[in-house]
Amino acid sequence: MSQEVHASSGAPQRGLKISNPREFYGGLALVLLGFLALWASRDLAGMHGISFGPGTAPRMFASILIVLGVAIMAVGCLTEGVAVERYEISAPTLIILAYMFAASGRTTLILIVAAALLVGGVILAILGMMGPRRTLVRGPLFITLSIIVFAATIRPFGLVPASYLAIVAAAAATPEVRWIETLIWSAVLTAFCVLLFVYGINLPFQLWPTNLSWETLLSLR
Amino acid sequence: MIELFNNLVLGFGVALSPWNVLLCLIGALVGTLVGVLPGLGPLATIAMLLPITFGLPPVGALIMLAGIYYGAQYGGSTTSILVNIPGESSSVVTTLDGHQMARQGRAGPALAIAAIGSFFAGCVSTVVVAALAAPLTSIALLFGPAEYFSLMVLGLVFAVVLARGSVLKAIAMIILGLLLSMVGSDIETGASRMAFDVTELSDGIGFVLVAMGVFGYAEIMRNLEQESSQAIVHAKLTGLMPTWIDLKASSGAILRGTGLGSILGILPGGGAVIAAFAAYTFEKKVSRDPSRFGRGAIEGVAAPESANNAAAQTSFIPLLTLGIPPNAVMALMVGAMMIHGIVPGPQVMTKQPELFWGMIASMWIGNLMLVIINLPLVGIWVRLLRVPYRMLFPAIIIFCAIGVYSINNSAFDIVMTGLFGVVGYWLVKHDFEPAPMLLGFVLGPMLEENLRRAMLIARGDPSTFVTRPISAALMALAAILLALAVLPMIRSRRDEVFVE
Repeated sequence: MSQEVHASSGAPQRGLKISNPREFYGGLALVLLGFLALWASRDLAGMHGISFGPGTAPRMFASILIVLGVAIMAVGCLTEGVAVERYEISAPTLIILAYMFAASGRTTLILIVAAALLVGGVILAILGMMGPRRTLVRGPLFITLSIIVFAATIRPFGLVPASYLAIVAAAAATPEVRWIETLIWSAVLTAFCVLLFVYGINLPFQLWPTNLSWETLLSLR
Repeated sequence: MIELFNNLVLGFGVALSPWNVLLCLIGALVGTLVGVLPGLGPLATIAMLLPITFGLPPVGALIMLAGIYYGAQYGGSTTSILVNIPGESSSVVTTLDGHQMARQGRAGPALAIAAIGSFFAGCVSTVVVAALAAPLTSIALLFGPAEYFSLMVLGLVFAVVLARGSVLKAIAMIILGLLLSMVGSDIETGASRMAFDVTELSDGIGFVLVAMGVFGYAEIMRNLEQESSQAIVHAKLTGLMPTWIDLKASSGAILRGTGLGSILGILPGGGAVIAAFAAYTFEKKVSRDPSRFGRGAIEGVAAPESANNAAAQTSFIPLLTLGIPPNAVMALMVGAMMIHGIVPGPQVMTKQPELFWGMIASMWIGNLMLVIINLPLVGIWVRLLRVPYRMLFPAIIIFCAIGVYSINNSAFDIVMTGLFGVVGYWLVKHDFEPAPMLLGFVLGPMLEENLRRAMLIARGDPSTFVTRPISAALMALAAILLALAVLPMIRSRRDEVFVE
């Protein structure tokens, strides 16, 4: 939902200049979300007689959201405002969407889309980490990677490897990372998590890999 | 009156069982521990610690959560005073005078007066909650779907009026929250709505996912942008006890803060943040020498600290009696109750009196615990502040991930939490406030259900909301509030309060 925002960094120089980009692109994203919701609820029954159908309320609120989004865009065109505080979240967004598509995808088409999103995300991530805005790229990217690593490994590999890897990946999110400290600290934290969640409050987690198979590895759920 | 007394006895009977006292203590301790950590407010703290209450019986779980809430609240004021970093937004005002006191070597009295003020406010507001609960519950029983709908609209309007910044954007956030809450199965027909045929979405989006993503992960992403500055503790903690003069100077402030906080807490959309701001501003107005404020006036600590604690407590009233969460923290409590199979509302008091009164009694016990445990443990909290952020945030990330996974054993949910993290980060960058969105998200299903029922009862005539007297009054109030919020004069005043 954020891609259109990135276009803004280059856009203002040529042609139409938007005086308050923070409002304008914020409103635009809401409008797009509203249309997405309208599209997603297109098959749902609306009013029949005096009673609401399942689709009535979603369409109602989606329409209100679109109107509000347009109003916010209008404010963005009519007022002077500060520039958008800089941020860089295109790579993490693509990678997360890729995971969600892959996990829920039953058709080949969806899996191809997922692969494309993943490739796009990885390329953007690498470019971002080599580019001038790498400090902005770093935080959201590695936090996302940490979450993805945990999600993908918790079921096949168990809590211990999953948390250890996820903590190490998360630690890379700051340029101040100290690697040796991180490796030790991750082990300490993992042990703490096991003690607290498994022995302390008895959550039914498996700790180590058991019956690894391609099926569990690829289910992603 | 006798009934109130009997109810409180019942409540204390439940809350004082050794097991529940222990849970209350653990909750308050852990809540303070996490609340002291910079960048983690009560919302993130409760969302993060929610999973550790899953294995408990409902009463115990709610008592512990309430303890976590007060602890987080109090932890925030400790950091405000000692290192000028408000742990959460309701203690922002405390930094103004509290940290000045610490710089003058009076950190001890500042911490003590914050604890005493909070405790006093806690005592008073516990009684307020107990006294108002029964009458309000009987009013709630008169409510039909139309009234409920109007009341929720009023609550959402309050949230808009009290939100920072643009009114338009706050409304947009509420609508977005409502829309998100509609993902999943339709309540009446079971039709799958906006779920894109994804199995994980067919039950709707879990509110913990939204809360943890938007308040946990997004917050970390923001914190990582800044160069980390190590907290400098100015305090030399010598005498903790305030002098007689301090006590005398702050007693009025504590009383006024408690009063203001109790009232503002009940109002939907209100809550601790606005209460603290209001109490500070009020105290400055009535002071004989306003220039002392901002330079270490003890009233400037006593008033907002009493107010935010009183408000934190009385904001349970609309939740427990009407089943409507007045702010985002209470929205989280609704979610917690639902997980334990309790649907908040007037029926809780009649059907599960031990849960209801036990929770109210534990509020008081929780406040007592805070005074007892916090003053001796201040030294430990200070040391905690020296843990560098680079070690802290991976821990938060992994706790959130394990917490989300433990709800449904679903890896998909963890990734979705990550998505909400990115979305929350984007929202903040575009100056959208996420709290109204969460409130809309939690109220969404109730709002829609009551809207549909009301329309059905009225045979499809929307004028039912303005022809039924109670509903009409609530709607009129909402309209007036919204009009006031848009008026430029009030708006500038409102901004002023927040800037201060």
